[in-house]
Amino acid sequence: MENNRTLMYVILGGLVGLCVLALAALVIFGGVALLNRGEESSTVVATTETDQGTTTEGTSSGSSATASSNSLRLLGGEPPTLDPALASDATSANYIVELFSGLVTLDENVEIVPDIAADWRVSDDGLTYTFTLRDDVTFADGSAVTAEDFKYTIERACDPATLSPVADTYLGDIVGCKEKLGQAAGEVSGVRVIDPQTLEITIDAPKVYFLAKLTYPTAFVVDQAAVQAGGNLWATTNPNGSGPFRLDEYRFGERLVLAPNENYYGDPKPSLDRVTYILSGGSGMTMYETDEVDVVGVGLGDIDRVLDPSSPLNADLREVSEFSIGYIGLNANQPPFDDPQVRQAFNLAIDKEALVTAVLNDTVVPAYGIIPPGMPGHDPNIEGLRFNAEEAQRLLAESSYGGAENLPDITLHVSGAGGAAGPQIEAIVEMWKRNLAVDVAIEQTEWATFLTDIDRRPNPYQAFSIGWIADYPDPENFLDLLFHCDSLGNRTGYCNAEVDALLEEARVEQDNDARMALYDQAQQLIVQDAAWVPLWFNKGYVLVKPYVQDYRFPPTIVPTLKYVKLAQ
Amino acid sequence: MLVYLIRRLLWMPILLLIIALLTFAIGLYGPGDPIQQRLGTRSNPEAVARLRAELGLDRPFLMQYGEYVGKAVRGDFGESITLFPGKPIRELLAGRLWVSLQINLVALLLGAFFGIPIGIVAALFRNTPLDYFLMFGIVLAISFPTFVLLPILMWLFIEQIPLLGVGWGGLLSSKAILPISVLSLGPLAVYARQTRANLAEVLEQDFIRTARGKGLSETTVLLRHALRNAMIPLITIFGLMLGGLVSGSFITETLLGIPGIGRLGVDAFYARDYPIIMALTLLIAVGYAVANLLVDLLYAYADPRIRVQ
Amino acid sequence: MFQQRPPVATQRPAAQGSAAWRRFWQRYRRNKFAVLGAVIVLLFVMVGLFAPWLAPYSYTEQELTNTQAAPSLAHPFGTDRLGRDQFSRLIWGARTALIVAPATVIVGLTLGLVLGSAAGFFGGWVDQLVMRVSDVLFAFPGLLFAILLAATVQPRIEGWLSQYEALKPFVRSGYAEFFVVIFALSMVGWPGLARLIRGQILALREQPFVEAAHAIGVPPWRILLRHLLPNALTPVIVSVSMGLGGAILAESTLSFFGIGIQPPTASWGAMIFANFSFWRQPSALWLVWAPGLVVGSLVFAFNFIGDGLNEALGR
Repeated sequence: MENNRTLMYVILGGLVGLCVLALAALVIFGGVALLNRGEESSTVVATTETDQGTTTEGTSSGSSATASSNSLRLLGGEPPTLDPALASDATSANYIVELFSGLVTLDENVEIVPDIAADWRVSDDGLTYTFTLRDDVTFADGSAVTAEDFKYTIERACDPATLSPVADTYLGDIVGCKEKLGQAAGEVSGVRVIDPQTLEITIDAPKVYFLAKLTYPTAFVVDQAAVQAGGNLWATTNPNGSGPFRLDEYRFGERLVLAPNENYYGDPKPSLDRVTYILSGGSGMTMYETDEVDVVGVGLGDIDRVLDPSSPLNADLREVSEFSIGYIGLNANQPPFDDPQVRQAFNLAIDKEALVTAVLNDTVVPAYGIIPPGMPGHDPNIEGLRFNAEEAQRLLAESSYGGAENLPDITLHVSGAGGAAGPQIEAIVEMWKRNLAVDVAIEQTEWATFLTDIDRRPNPYQAFSIGWIADYPDPENFLDLLFHCDSLGNRTGYCNAEVDALLEEARVEQDNDARMALYDQAQQLIVQDAAWVPLWFNKGYVLVKPYVQDYRFPPTIVPTLKYVKLAQ
Repeated sequence: MLVYLIRRLLWMPILLLIIALLTFAIGLYGPGDPIQQRLGTRSNPEAVARLRAELGLDRPFLMQYGEYVGKAVRGDFGESITLFPGKPIRELLAGRLWVSLQINLVALLLGAFFGIPIGIVAALFRNTPLDYFLMFGIVLAISFPTFVLLPILMWLFIEQIPLLGVGWGGLLSSKAILPISVLSLGPLAVYARQTRANLAEVLEQDFIRTARGKGLSETTVLLRHALRNAMIPLITIFGLMLGGLVSGSFITETLLGIPGIGRLGVDAFYARDYPIIMALTLLIAVGYAVANLLVDLLYAYADPRIRVQ
Repeated sequence: MFQQRPPVATQRPAAQGSAAWRRFWQRYRRNKFAVLGAVIVLLFVMVGLFAPWLAPYSYTEQELTNTQAAPSLAHPFGTDRLGRDQFSRLIWGARTALIVAPATVIVGLTLGLVLGSAAGFFGGWVDQLVMRVSDVLFAFPGLLFAILLAATVQPRIEGWLSQYEALKPFVRSGYAEFFVVIFALSMVGWPGLARLIRGQILALREQPFVEAAHAIGVPPWRILLRHLLPNALTPVIVSVSMGLGGAILAESTLSFFGIGIQPPTASWGAMIFANFSFWRQPSALWLVWAPGLVVGSLVFAFNFIGDGLNEALGR
């Protein structure tokens, strides 16, 4: 018994010690975390002009402010990058367009309009663009933006050391950029500075859509001094861009705060005092309902509730269009989809209306063409391959395979990190089974491998499900990039000489109406040949508090916050 | 005893090295190429090769592993590849670890606070309807996992009676109530069951009978003799649970939108961000291994039968 | 999740014959919850066995005009997002659970039994090896290990099986996923059992009746099989019963990470997580709550069976 007691004390002592240790560790960890936070907040942009008393009011009330302060609260995603040259995702681009700006931008009608470039001239051969820059444009710190800055920006993006994943796509048309990316050239020869206000860009072929590519962040002007001073994370510490807003505060995982750029040249000037993006996550709907955020996107799980006219939220609902399409690619080089009749049968067997209504709650629009609504080149009257089970069976029977029983095994590849393929895919596979008596297996491949695979030539997949979002609003970005025989982006191996001829003609056609007519012809041929099963055009649903005025939802990512006003 | 201690202490780093090796191998041979994912597929092969070289992914396996371990020892877990490209993982972990630790520690303490008294009551009234009722409730609580309880509680307390919220507003905000109560159920059940079992056993033993025979009051017997003896294994369990604290809680944090390391782990898994997954695994393994070692040592000291030789 | 030190079994040779069984049953019966648990498990086993006859609809049959329908006479548990009958899917889910859980436990138990008794009986380097491997697997956070393992081996196992023409339909039908899940979960499960058995054998080895057997020249393997293992089994049986519930939980949890058994195959866990985003809506009642409560009650039953067994077999 004696022995037992001492033992007990020892054990107790040891464990209490352990607890104390653990607690101490906790405190130390916590201390470190707090210290880190302190550091993060001290990395706030050092603006040259003094804050005129907004510091206390703006930041301290930032997290719990009500609509009474002139501050907009949004739910944000953690930006993977704020560097315009590196951004390849929508989350990053959304912040970047507010912080930076470029030569041209898009207006509400998705037309290209001047931004930093006041004006531009295209040479008769369509190869040389001469931009005249505004003379009143400065970076956030007040230093002037000149043609030299654009030359630096483009050369930096095309520098392989920058590791830009998108320079090739958006700037690759500029003479010399591809060479520089391949480390063959020291500078981009297609960019010439005529004088501080004049920039000349030469491209490799008369591509009308080139200007549209310049509306994407990759071409947005950056400040050489800021880039070189800030090291790897310059954009998240002091981006010093020329956009309507500047970075006021960025607390990783907590919030990102934008403040108006007092030196902004554009029109209108921002009316908000602060824009706070809450990065710590959480259920957006709940935060909207408890007045913690002013704008929120509506997910599929909440859409029914919000669409119900009796819901108090219904009045705040806005529908937003996106230039994107979901589709199933049918590989024209692999049996059985090497036979157009089989491809058509697989198209006709899908009841898109039922799919969209029942499975996706009408949050998307059934797609019968390729180009999304609202975008130049969209054809609302396209015939398309509409649901017709009998016709589908007839086509399959008439095909070179002679019917469902002679088809080889078919696997539909979908992307994802393991996990369910999603009810949409399950429903589609079931429709093929029911209407064509064909059993299609679903195979899920992890995203990166999936992308690598479908970009291989030849593509190893028979059929694959993926989407496409417009990089810039031009039909070339859909039709030429995805269906031309020689295009790197053509993943289905679809090849039709007639389509190619139309696409090539459209590339250099300078008259816009004639160009759109050419694209429309091409689109109709592609749809009839059933290179894809076009599934749906995406649209979004957003809730906006009534006191938030002039919040725009353009289908492409362009600056919007400068228009926003809060009713008091 | 000393030999045993030294042996265990020497084994610890080896254990952690093996765990790091396993994680490292899975990261390297697992599905998905993080480089492709980061650069996108339309990037040129030059850039891919450059980034691969820059991140040191083109070198022999053992070299990469060696360097990784060398850095990890100094607290440098490298950079995130896909989730937050270029962010040092140490920075990613710091704030999140703090959030997870807060929730889990409070949950653990709450679990002990309620679990032990429940266990005592059940042991004192054992084999009565009260005991059955309590134990029934306890088993119920551990049988229904968080992903079953959460939708029910969320529906009740967020949708029907909007009291609580989703997200994170610090330990003192009402948003912390739901995750903490859900997470405290597990420890609560373990404590209640163990307390009941241990106390019931102790109460049968000779020295308790002796104490009672001496004419000590029932309260004294219970508090000074029985409880104290019954507590020892509980403290051990507490130690083990402390070790598990850093693992956060994958499901609760994700479903409730709490920015802790559990959710980071889930996000990293979906993005196939192996450096983050590796760092988390190592962190959790260190927590477990240290706690395990301490508990094992205590056990070896307490019970010679289990002493490992 | 928590590793408990092995309770040391009563050091008494195993009782023999039907009298022992009767005694066991009498003691087991005393715990009413344990009996309830046994009834619930039996019920689920029946449901799983006779799923094709019990389910009113096919578990894959979609009815897109009737999605997320509330419970009705035709669909007692409503329908899911694709208009599949939730009741039928719950029934088929029982089959999935009752394949995965026992298989996982059996694989884990075999590994644990062989390695644990070898470690305890032979000691020395065998013991060191087994214990150190189990140390590693223990320190590796269990769930994370299963997830990483499953994600890594899944494409490999399926690729390997697809090489054989005869096995292709098997892979295409999604049954290969079962192997992945069972493999990953049993790899996580065996070290606990091995430690438990080793501890028991170590404690028993010193007992007089074992020493007596040694003294009269009984060969070691016979001592192990006849004297040590039977006496070491009580806590093992208890832990197996709890492990069955644990495996069902673990399978559901894998679904959260999107690994494991995929639709259209009915798995309760996958059913919960596929519909979790509807938690605010009335349809969550049958899409999320129903499979959740089914998982919970089965785990609950196994836990009480474990309790009952512990009381009936132990002290």
